[in-house]
Amino acid sequence: MTSSAHASAQVLRGRGAALALIAPALAVVGIFFVAPLAMSVVVAFRAKDGGFTLEHFAKSFDLYGTDLLFTLAIVVVSTLLIGIVAIAIAGYLTLGEHPRTVAALRWLYRWPLFIPFVVAGQLMRTFLAKNGMLNHVLIGSGLIEPLSAQSLLDWRGIVIAFVWKQAPFVTLLLAGAMAALEPQHIEAARNLGARRLAVLIDIVLPQVRGTLLVGLVLSFVTMLSVLSVPLMINPNSPTMVTVDVAYRISTHADYPVANALCILSLLLAAVGAVFYLRHAAARVEAT
Amino acid sequence: MKSRMLFPVVLVAFAGTVFAQTTLNVITAGDQNMVDYVNNYLAPKFEAANPGVKVRAVGTGPGDAGSQKIYEKLSAQQKANSQEWDVDVAVVHQLASATMVNEKLLMPYRNDVSVGKLVSRDTAKNALGANVDGYVLPMFHSQIVFAYNPDLVKNPPKSFQELNDWVKKNPKQFGYNGVKGGMSGVGFVTGWVSAYSGMGDKLEKGPYDPSAAPAIDKALSGLKEFNQYVVMTPGNAGTLDMLNRGEIAMGPVWVDMFYTWQADGRMNPKIKLTLPSPGLPGQPMYYVIPARAAHAALAKKFIELAESPEVQADGIIKQFNWYPGIDPQYVQPKLDQAAWNKLFTDISPADLSKYGRPFPLSPYFKEITEGYERVVLK
Repeated sequence: MTSSAHASAQVLRGRGAALALIAPALAVVGIFFVAPLAMSVVVAFRAKDGGFTLEHFAKSFDLYGTDLLFTLAIVVVSTLLIGIVAIAIAGYLTLGEHPRTVAALRWLYRWPLFIPFVVAGQLMRTFLAKNGMLNHVLIGSGLIEPLSAQSLLDWRGIVIAFVWKQAPFVTLLLAGAMAALEPQHIEAARNLGARRLAVLIDIVLPQVRGTLLVGLVLSFVTMLSVLSVPLMINPNSPTMVTVDVAYRISTHADYPVANALCILSLLLAAVGAVFYLRHAAARVEAT
Repeated sequence: MKSRMLFPVVLVAFAGTVFAQTTLNVITAGDQNMVDYVNNYLAPKFEAANPGVKVRAVGTGPGDAGSQKIYEKLSAQQKANSQEWDVDVAVVHQLASATMVNEKLLMPYRNDVSVGKLVSRDTAKNALGANVDGYVLPMFHSQIVFAYNPDLVKNPPKSFQELNDWVKKNPKQFGYNGVKGGMSGVGFVTGWVSAYSGMGDKLEKGPYDPSAAPAIDKALSGLKEFNQYVVMTPGNAGTLDMLNRGEIAMGPVWVDMFYTWQADGRMNPKIKLTLPSPGLPGQPMYYVIPARAAHAALAKKFIELAESPEVQADGIIKQFNWYPGIDPQYVQPKLDQAAWNKLFTDISPADLSKYGRPFPLSPYFKEITEGYERVVLK
């Protein structure tokens, strides 16, 4: 056996072993993720007679076009607000000069992380109602007149619930990244007279942009898939696509249109995935 | 040594079979409260009256989906051509009962039981347009009604027309939950279409006629305008919540949910009920016996008990706040006045039989709910 043949045999054996090692993981991904996804696509495009059709998509756009736009708008607005809240909290945790306030904030902000979406939905349902706790507090403190109290249980309620629930997650990532920065950068800027806000925007944020983006993309995709919050806060039109999917299945047993809607929301999520992959790929190239 | 130790075990097992030779299998669609009702309420009564019989109840889950599972189980046993099916009594929704009768999965039994004569409502014969005469007995009826706050609404609307005028004078005081937030909203929408299309009877009794679609759409376009004056609530419980907090003055609710909430102290005791003309839908659940039930004779005895005026009074009305499955006139003598008043003060039995309507046939039902999304929501 020549040395090169020996080497290639070793490579082959190595490759076989590698394949064997990843086979269970591949099988799990294949059986539980790829196969159901493929079936979902098939059902979405299959007519009653078994042929190819676009009628389920036509029906989706006809009945739920508004909801698709509404879903996108809600998720985009929520993502932006989450970004702002997360930057504010993480920025204060990093640059704050009052140790007690920083400690209190650090302790408080993570709480919503441990609360499931369905519980958050339930909380908001009583908190944001017309005669709910928020309005009681506002009226009691004289900030608004009783007659001008209004229910926030519409798109605003969904956005509030999403931001409340997801901002801590992004903050957690962001605060971690900020803590890992070289403190000299911040100190140098402060020594040269930069104000804290300027330090945050010009020095800190550019260095943690990647982490922020990843956190926001993950939140974006998570929010797209949440059923409980819109179902509990505002299941009526316009509402989010998840509610429509659940409705098609539970009331009409209409899997084709439900699957078509799922594929459309998958496309929305794919936009986020592209962002994510680009950034992840850029980071791999950079290292 | 070993065999001696085994002996008592065998004896105990044997004794077990002697004292409970027969197991009556009851399978029920619906929420957990249905299973609890059978296990905790009916079973002890039946076992006491029939020594040697054990009642075992299994639930298959809420809604039509739960009934569908029962249908699939029976259908599989029919196709396997088994002689004795392992379900003796089933509790199912209307839609599934129609399919089951159609596919000969059920046994006609109403004329074999004395309580068969006590039923009066049309639902004992007709399930969403299908003829189920003789095969079913309603376990209970539940009904969608308007709940209102009498402090805010002195004269509640008596018809859909009056409601339409009322919301224009009192905007944002009526709330319902659309078609995606539970059946009380769906029932309100089908009730609206029945009222404004003038096709109530046709929608409920059939035959299905696709040319009715424009009339349905027209009724729904009126609802689109109506919706501008009302509040959308998040679900069946959402309507009750908002009524309780005083955020709306009126809305459609399920009677049994309403009374249960009031009994639990979760609902303002002042809130009252009314049933407008030409009516709102309600639905029964049926006791049925599979065609080849292993213990059909016992199953009939079980239903005799469950439909007896005593059980209907104490179990169905007093404990679960449902309307009785049999004619209320047989139940009233068995109830104390307070319990009777609680269920029938606001809505008399006469109103109930006049304005308590079935849901539309399933093709119409689909047309109305989809039409709602197409016409009202867009």
